[in-house]
Amino acid sequence: MTQSTSESVTKPKAGGHGTPPQAGHDEHADHGHGHGDGPHLAHHFDTYQQQFDAGKLGIWLFLLTEVLFFSGLFCAYTVYRAQHPEVFVYAHYFLNTNMGALNTCVLLISSLTAAWAVRNAQLAQKGLLIFNIVITIACAFTFMTVKYFEYAHKFHDGLLPGPNFHPTEQVWELDSFKQKHPEAAEFAEMLSKRAEARAKGTAAEKEAPLITQRPTEEQIEPLMKAGLIGPNSEEPMGISRPRNAHVFFSIYFFMTGLHGIHVIGGIIVWAWLLKRAVRGEFGPKYFGPIDYAALYWHLVDLVWIYLFPLLYLIH
Amino acid sequence: MANEETPKTEATSDLESGADPKAPAAVEAAKVAPEHDATAPNDKLEPTRQDEGPDSDPAPGADDDHGHGHGADDHDHGLAHTMPVWMLVAVLGALMVLTVLTVSVTRFDLGSEGNLVVAMVIATVKAGLVVTFFMHLYWDKKFHLVLFLTAVLFVILFLSMSLTDRGEYQTNIDWYQSVSTANTK
Amino acid sequence: MASPSTTADVVAPRSTSSDDNYLTHDKGVLSWIFTLDHKRIGVMYLFSVLAAFALGGFFALIVRTELLTPGRTIIDHDTYNKMFTLHGAIMVFLVIIPGIPAALGNIIMPLQLGAKDVAFPRLNLASYHLWIVGACFMLSSLVINAVDTGWTFYTPYSTTTSTAVVPAAFGAFILGFSSIFTGLNFIVTMHKLRPPGMHFFRMPLFCWALYSTALIQVLATPVIGITLLMMIVERTLHIGIFDPTLGGDPVLFQHFFWFYSHPAVYIMIVPAFGVIGDIIPVFSRKRIFGYKFIAISSLAIAFLGFLVWGHHMFVSGQSVLAGTIFSAITFLIAIPTAIKVFNWLTTMYKGVIHLDTPMLYALAFLWVFTIGGLTGIFLAVMSVDVHLHDTYFVVAHFHYVMMGGAITAFMGGLHYWWPKAFGRMYDEKLGRIAAGFVFTGLNVTFFPQFILGSRGMPRRYYNYLPEFQPLHQLSTLGAYTLAVGFLLTAYYLFRSLKHGRIAPANPWGATTLEWQCSSPPPYYNFHKPPAVTQGPYDGYENLVYDEKIGGYVPRKANPA
Repeated sequence: MTQSTSESVTKPKAGGHGTPPQAGHDEHADHGHGHGDGPHLAHHFDTYQQQFDAGKLGIWLFLLTEVLFFSGLFCAYTVYRAQHPEVFVYAHYFLNTNMGALNTCVLLISSLTAAWAVRNAQLAQKGLLIFNIVITIACAFTFMTVKYFEYAHKFHDGLLPGPNFHPTEQVWELDSFKQKHPEAAEFAEMLSKRAEARAKGTAAEKEAPLITQRPTEEQIEPLMKAGLIGPNSEEPMGISRPRNAHVFFSIYFFMTGLHGIHVIGGIIVWAWLLKRAVRGEFGPKYFGPIDYAALYWHLVDLVWIYLFPLLYLIH
Repeated sequence: MANEETPKTEATSDLESGADPKAPAAVEAAKVAPEHDATAPNDKLEPTRQDEGPDSDPAPGADDDHGHGHGADDHDHGLAHTMPVWMLVAVLGALMVLTVLTVSVTRFDLGSEGNLVVAMVIATVKAGLVVTFFMHLYWDKKFHLVLFLTAVLFVILFLSMSLTDRGEYQTNIDWYQSVSTANTK
Repeated sequence: MASPSTTADVVAPRSTSSDDNYLTHDKGVLSWIFTLDHKRIGVMYLFSVLAAFALGGFFALIVRTELLTPGRTIIDHDTYNKMFTLHGAIMVFLVIIPGIPAALGNIIMPLQLGAKDVAFPRLNLASYHLWIVGACFMLSSLVINAVDTGWTFYTPYSTTTSTAVVPAAFGAFILGFSSIFTGLNFIVTMHKLRPPGMHFFRMPLFCWALYSTALIQVLATPVIGITLLMMIVERTLHIGIFDPTLGGDPVLFQHFFWFYSHPAVYIMIVPAFGVIGDIIPVFSRKRIFGYKFIAISSLAIAFLGFLVWGHHMFVSGQSVLAGTIFSAITFLIAIPTAIKVFNWLTTMYKGVIHLDTPMLYALAFLWVFTIGGLTGIFLAVMSVDVHLHDTYFVVAHFHYVMMGGAITAFMGGLHYWWPKAFGRMYDEKLGRIAAGFVFTGLNVTFFPQFILGSRGMPRRYYNYLPEFQPLHQLSTLGAYTLAVGFLLTAYYLFRSLKHGRIAPANPWGATTLEWQCSSPPPYYNFHKPPAVTQGPYDGYENLVYDEKIGGYVPRKANPA
């Protein structure tokens, strides 16, 4: 009796033995050092409930740190948008709202399957658990694929941060702009041609006035809002993109990039949990890792819920 | 059973390792301890070895919404509440609807800040749904909610102080920029 | 059912260091590198932190030696910039922030809770490994092209200088995660692994302090993480967040930086408060006065610490309104801090004071920290700060609180818990002598700096007006005195590991739980947590000194 209770029973299990832990995601895989009184019960915990509660508190604290971590970027976004709204209006035409919305839906679905997987683990529904984890991973991959296409598009169009910002198209040539503001697009086209003519054309063209008649509200307003003309433009006397337009793309790449890194991290964690689920490790007494990973995953989704309108739905 | 024998051996080994608790009052407690499980005074810690067997027989698919286990100091049976499937799907439905809503609202021009406010409100509703249901906070310990709200509070604090400050010297930055662009021309 | 064994068994725990304990339980380097035992992790942290302290101290000596004369003394100005930057970065990120929580807290806190380990032992090990990796990155910048921005990494210099800012910043980034994981671990441990009978208000004050610190670690450190990341990306990809030529805002960096770094100084000092709170009652043989007030004030300081970061930026161009708010809240922080100091003093009143080395450090702390804290109030006044910002006054202030506060308390805790951790007593006479050197050195080094600063000597300056020379020389003399004190301490502490008297379980007569297991503790700490029926500082009257073992034992029912 003494032996089974006061000694730690050393039943080394495969996996988790002496491996450095996944940072913060799963603290309750086999201890390797010996268990309490059941598999998956670490020696320093008395009950499964205590172990589960400890892990839950732990993952919530970790999620707090993630919220604070992203907050720096949200702060930078807020500060810049408050001071330079035209940069943001200008840049959002370059983003594809449909792809963003698709990604939003993909992540929402993956959140569902993650939460469902927790239920499956609690009820020891192994088959369904595996299925849901697989779908979660698949959705994550879909997200990253769509992201890849978006990034590739941006690279191709020269929309890069900092000194690498050399857009190949003018914003008024974009379909998204033309659809929303057709008159303004035409007007901008004309303006830029005239400005070019004044710069490089014949003497007569140099003398010609930039505009011959008073522009209408529909022609001017979208251009002002996007900082193409007026004091915020790089060409205050002509038409060009707003000053420091690249700031938006810096923020865009940083925020979505960091988010993407977290998605990739999530994929790795889910893959590892998939392996463990296939081995049948989870049940009503021990489903913590799935629960904690799902919480992390929901946070990734949460960040995107805010990123989407802030980056894609600027008006 | 194992439980009754456990306290004896462990109490003794405690004493052997010099763990005499502090004072006469504590010596009383030590005398009492062998009768009860030393963890008894704290009902948050379950008596340790009597209930939790290994999870190797998980009774697959049994009792749809109930887990097994006697660790039931939680709201439901089992270690934690289990989400019903209909609730999960309903929440997803609501989230999808809100997503469609937030995209379609951009069609209307509500003023320079109006769209932003509407978008943030909808995003917060979505976030609230995810946190309450998917992340289970509704059924969780209240302390986790406190923690989460604290984090949000700090983010708001951080953002607002930085914002109020930024306005102060924006003119300096603008002047600097106009000077430097003038110089490069 | 067994009745408790005779008191003879109870009072004479086998605690010779030849017994099996956590130090001897597993052998080999790998058993240390991959250990999951919080005590071993704490010991590794301890020696790593002490090594970093020695390195940072060495750079400090170089700085102080250079300042013996205006103009060049031993190094040129660029090297000087690198020296003070590295001194600061190493001390802040590698020594003081991890210091008490990771080294002392890891070894002692679970023992104080009667627990078998922290909540997440592997996360604990990860914290330590991350410290090592972060240290390597930070020190690599030393080798490549030592960073010279000052430990605060202000933009735009940090984003444009040619020195190796990225490795240093990335090192600090990784160290941030080490800190976060430690904090997370401690919070969950204290919530979930307390023994029966120990509700929150029966925890030792050291635990309360670690809890408050952990809250700060978890909430504030991610912000420095993202800030450093943003600075690195700015440097490498020129994204234009902090660079004014690219539309960025350099003061935004300061907001981000200080949002963490102010709470960080509370990460440094609050654990020190906890150590002092544990030492003073023991060496006054008297219950702590105002336990609840001290406990809650730790939380109050943690909370208020988040609201005052702008007091580092009074002259940065931030709005006067913001400055006023920050100034007012900074005054408020003095209140919970003062509550602690007064409660400690009241604890000592009518107590029986034992002037052992830990108590000497605690008393030194009270004096030195009070000076440091009060001078913080001077700086909190905006109008005064305009004159004193970036002068030696600030340098003196933060060294008084960090060196005089955190390090002194660290030394006190080190001496207090050394017998428990290593099973050996150090030479008490040498301990007192070294404490004298440290206390003297502290004051001689840093008090003249208050005067220098108020007379206008700027900080981080290589060159200075000749009128400042006498005070600089006095300060350098103090620095060398400090060095002697620390070297002496290192000598007798290391010597004690082999030659010290074997320590009993309870050499100081303390009543917290860690003294109820042997010195050193067994690898499993306690088979079952001891039952807790009274507060952590109750029951001194029930302990008597036993000459035979050189420590305290419970008073026997029948005097023998």
